Amino acid sequence: MSEISSAAATQGYAPARQGSTPPANLADILERVLDKGIIIAGDIQVNLLDIELLTIRIRLLVVSVDKAQEMGIDWWRRDSGLTSSRRELETENRELRERIEQLEQFENKAGSRQGRARKQS
Amino acid sequence: MSDRGRYLFAVATGLDPSDLEGQVGIDGEPLQIVQHDRLQAVVCDVDLEQFGAEGVRQNLERLDWVEKVARTHDSVVRAVAARATVAPLRLVTVCLDDDSVASRLEQWELPLRAALQRVEGCREWSVKAYSPTPAAGAAGDDRADESGTAYLLRKRDESSRRHSAGREAADTAEAVHLALAGPSRASRLLAPQDPQLTGRTEKMILNGAYLLPEEEEQGFLALVDDLRSRHPGVVIELAGPWAPYSFAVLEVADDR
Repeated sequence: MSEISSAAATQGYAPARQGSTPPANLADILERVLDKGIIIAGDIQVNLLDIELLTIRIRLLVVSVDKAQEMGIDWWRRDSGLTSSRRELETENRELRERIEQLEQFENKAGSRQGRARKQS
Repeated sequence: MSDRGRYLFAVATGLDPSDLEGQVGIDGEPLQIVQHDRLQAVVCDVDLEQFGAEGVRQNLERLDWVEKVARTHDSVVRAVAARATVAPLRLVTVCLDDDSVASRLEQWELPLRAALQRVEGCREWSVKAYSPTPAAGAAGDDRADESGTAYLLRKRDESSRRHSAGREAADTAEAVHLALAGPSRASRLLAPQDPQLTGRTEKMILNGAYLLPEEEEQGFLALVDDLRSRHPGVVIELAGPWAPYSFAVLEVADDR
């Protein structure tokens, strides 16, 4: 079973600074270009954490902390780099929950207004 | 005012404009170098309709757009890394003009130089380890004649077996990581990816990034092979070399 990758991966090695290696899979690229690399604010304000659909879609596919703990593989959480992104995730989750609450309140209000409107008519 | 902006791929040092021949940026735009002192930003023109604040917000929700930009970004970073020391920038860093790019280089000069120094002569390698998912109970099917208590006991037993298999996998992952981190200049643990993303049935137990001086890569690859034979129960996957994405950070950090 462990041989699976040696052959496949060895083909990918650029012997020296050749610059061309086979295209890596998208998850590995996204993991690096979205979550790693130098962060310098440009003139265009982009907060990648604001991008709900994408981040949710991608972050959901990363093993959740609870699930990892349940499986006993949460040891990587001790890494400082990760704990900071975990904080970001927690903030993000909190913000999302707040937004959902707001939406629900909004919907309730709209619902009761509609109810009143119906009664009046 | 302008409807064109400058997309920043990476900051480098020691790059010659001719090194970028044959490589294009976003939407086929030619690459250019904006210089401040010895720091070089690799940039290309982009349309602000696509890369302005509103455009980006909408486009980032489209996975096909993200994929296109991410692959171009990585391919430019790779081309730069093949010729010079590089600190990749995060996806979608956009300035309005070259003056603005140069002022960023000036503003961040010291930490950028420190970041470049940390990764000089090094490349990043990714090592992932997978552990086979422990089989659900031997006779895992529900049995009609089984009493409620027997069922619960069996379930509890299965769950504790899964748990201890998980712990064992974690120990192996940690051992593999420590062995690889030893000879690396720096190492970093990334979050394991979900099977939906990896397309594998086994569970990812290690997703590590290792920064290695080029002259020490052969030893590292041999070490990976050695770890494979020492841990036949796990699949160890090696990928790279990457540009030092995981190690290019603007802070004085000891990641070990």
